[in-house]
Amino acid sequence: MLLITCPYCGPRDESEFSCGGEAHIARPLAESSLTDAEFADYLFLRDNPKGLFLERWRHAAGCRRWFNMARDTVTHEIVEIYPMGSGPASKAGKAAHAASWRRDTAAEAASKPAHKSRAKKDKVS
Amino acid sequence: MASVSNEGQRPPGRTALAGMTVMAHDNPEGGKPGLVITELAHLGKINLRGGSDMLPVISNHTGCAKLPDNNRVVSVGDRHIVWLGPDEYLLLCAAGSETHLHSQLTLDMAGIHAAVTNVTDSLCALSLRGKAARRVLAKGCSLDLHASQFGAGDCAQTMLAHAAVTLIAHDASGFTLVCRTSFAPYVTEWLMDAALEFGASFRG
Ligand SMILES: [Zn+2]
Repeated sequence: MLLITCPYCGPRDESEFSCGGEAHIARPLAESSLTDAEFADYLFLRDNPKGLFLERWRHAAGCRRWFNMARDTVTHEIVEIYPMGSGPASKAGKAAHAASWRRDTAAEAASKPAHKSRAKKDKVS
Repeated sequence: MASVSNEGQRPPGRTALAGMTVMAHDNPEGGKPGLVITELAHLGKINLRGGSDMLPVISNHTGCAKLPDNNRVVSVGDRHIVWLGPDEYLLLCAAGSETHLHSQLTLDMAGIHAAVTNVTDSLCALSLRGKAARRVLAKGCSLDLHASQFGAGDCAQTMLAHAAVTLIAHDASGFTLVCRTSFAPYVTEWLMDAALEFGASFRG
């Protein structure tokens, strides 16, 4: 059983939490520019690494708030807990974020506003 | 902190535990029962969602000068503000006073990004008293219930024997437990069973 430190309530038993799966899956804004296979990366494919994994968790039986957690799937070590809407701050967390296959997908590239504005510019010129 | 009481005008209507008969288990070691459960029937309960800009309105109607910190309760008289989350509070008030208080709060919150919901009948409040109260709760709850970790004015939303509950500590041996009305008979029966070895009594 894990002891998870809720950012709001403090350390609580794992049974009070529910796991929301992989974190940092950005919604493609320019979805119409994606092929079905590329969109499926966003919609259906989830990572299952052996080692550090960035996950979303919710304190379901407590304050009912979401947060992110970097957890080692082998040792269960919790490396860091950080708020929704932000990225990991630890060296190991940053490395896990950068190493995810998802960083190289067309779906993630299509989630960035820069991509959208470039597409607009292309249209104008 | 002062314990929660439901003194006041009791509105008519069925309470959460109305169907349950008075129960009692003798303390095997003699003397008072280790746990005394009393339903705080019709205790007023109002859920508040919003940020710190709700404070002036809440202050005005409760006399509480500040919103509670995380895992804490702020009380003035018979009004208690229980922390539930970073932007969520449960306001406990005397039985029968919640309808008027709810409409006053709603009116005064106009223009503030906030939600005021009367949840009096959706939740059931129980008073738990007795020397064994902490030990009985600890049988079904993963919280650290030692008095040094969960003392007067502390509160927590947690699980008790698989039921979602809000626990409020008043002193070494007194608690208020708030749970869903539909779970109240189960929670009460579980507590009575868990308290067999200490002696227990329940009255609605
Ligand atoms: Zn929490």
